[in-house]
Amino acid sequence: MTIRTRLTFWYAGILTASLVVIGFGTYREIDEQLRHAHRRAPEERAISETGEMVFRVGLPAILLGLLGGWWLTRRALSPVAELTEAIKKIHERNLREPLPRTGNGDELDRLTEVFNGMLARLDDSFSRTREFTLHASHELKTPLTVLCGETETALRDESLSPAERERAVSQLDELRRLARIVDGLTLLAKADAGQVALKLEPVRLDELVRDNFADAQILAEPHGIQVELAVCEEVSVRGDRHRLRQLLLNLADNAVKYNQPQGRVTMRLRRANGAAEFTITNTGAGIPPEVLPRVFDRFFRGDPAHSPTVDGCGLGLSIVQWIVSAHGGSITIKSEPSKLTTVTMHLPLETK
Amino acid sequence: MRVLVVEDEKKTASFVRKALQAEGFAVDVCHNGEDALAAALATPFDGIVLDIMLPGRDGLSVLRQLRERKSTIPVLLLSARGEVNERVEGLDAGADDYLPKPFELAELVARVRALTRRGGENKSTVLRVADLTLDTVTHRAQRGGADIELTAREYRLLEFLMRSPGRLCGRMMILEKVWDYDFDPGTNLVDVYVRRLREKIDANFEPKLLHTVRGAGYALKEQP
Repeated sequence: MTIRTRLTFWYAGILTASLVVIGFGTYREIDEQLRHAHRRAPEERAISETGEMVFRVGLPAILLGLLGGWWLTRRALSPVAELTEAIKKIHERNLREPLPRTGNGDELDRLTEVFNGMLARLDDSFSRTREFTLHASHELKTPLTVLCGETETALRDESLSPAERERAVSQLDELRRLARIVDGLTLLAKADAGQVALKLEPVRLDELVRDNFADAQILAEPHGIQVELAVCEEVSVRGDRHRLRQLLLNLADNAVKYNQPQGRVTMRLRRANGAAEFTITNTGAGIPPEVLPRVFDRFFRGDPAHSPTVDGCGLGLSIVQWIVSAHGGSITIKSEPSKLTTVTMHLPLETK
Repeated sequence: MRVLVVEDEKKTASFVRKALQAEGFAVDVCHNGEDALAAALATPFDGIVLDIMLPGRDGLSVLRQLRERKSTIPVLLLSARGEVNERVEGLDAGADDYLPKPFELAELVARVRALTRRGGENKSTVLRVADLTLDTVTHRAQRGGADIELTAREYRLLEFLMRSPGRLCGRMMILEKVWDYDFDPGTNLVDVYVRRLREKIDANFEPKLLHTVRGAGYALKEQP
């Protein structure tokens, strides 16, 4: 039961009680008057007259009271409803926007004020964490540059033995992996802080998909995986060309990496429900249902036993998700273990 | 060829200098923006490797000052920030190229070479390395007189490699020029394409032309 209904009932109760009191008083008064007028007063007349009066005057009064009460509580509680709506819209990225205040200094206004204070503190700590990640990834870049550079310099030394060379190359590979992780981290930290501007323009998504299809075929070839572009309708979206290509390549790369030898990858691009719908399906071990909701999480890799040989930075799908949401789209993933895994992405169509 | 390296991080400055010297460049080093500006205005360098984050006057400001004073010295910007926005900002300020940190040394050297050779690029419509030829008008590739079928991407890759024969080309540079990617996709796309291209142009021929330089990149040349 909402506060409003409860208050209305209480209010109605109080009205009824006061009506009973008034009725009782009126009865006493009428009874008294009748006694004076006729010496002997018939009680029934007093009762029926009172009843009639209460019915004629009281009932409309009760109805009016109820309506009044309903209106009053609605009026009194509408700021609460507004507050609820406003709070519903709060998420990590708009903590900086305070809730609107009435400014009349009442209890709700005070509550809003306190709530805004809390939001500001939350925002503060969120931005501290973001800044920390951003600074950390920047700070890592200088020593990484030095490490990569010095290892490469060492590799140029002709007098290295094959074993030393092998070691240096392997170190360099790991350093570059580290560099990619730091890159991904920087990108996501900046995206979180709203510091990555997308260069939006009309983009023919079908062209990007065809391009990506060619790259996917090449990536899949060494593993004997068949790549198919089943549907490719002409679709334009408003987007950042580079980011969309990054997104498609990431999805294709995953579909190949998490596949089985001689497996398949199928891509489809079409218009569906007023959006551009891109799906990419791959065969392979699949993703167990319990980890499915977490695949977009940063550094989430699932059970290492299922993908021991797959390398990557662990941020690919998080970056994919960011790119999709930055374009106002949505992305979902479905998977049946040992069957097919399908990623479905929707992007808003370009409106001319 | 004389280049100026502006980098406040001493170790980075040192290995960049060594790598460029090993390639035959004369290298001057500055550790802050003010010195860099003074040096660049006083000496006719063939190119500048300029870090953005510098104590005092930052790299972008040095670059803007140089361009304001009508200097056309080619500039390669280095940045630890490495985001598309900074790349755009840097190129807008008048940079000729941009390389995010951490970079691959081979990449840096290749870019400095490209920078200092600007304008001297092979403009001919038929590119030739040994008995491999590529017609940039008809997109026809031949080796030893036999036609080689290439996909569009393979063609672009081969053209890129053939435009700078003998030069080491880093993975990022290939991704940027052939794929127009300005991010590292973290895939082995380049390696796979190079392998395929090698099968087409090298498998049945001698000498091998497309060489892998481990940990650095690829080069198309006659001598191993």
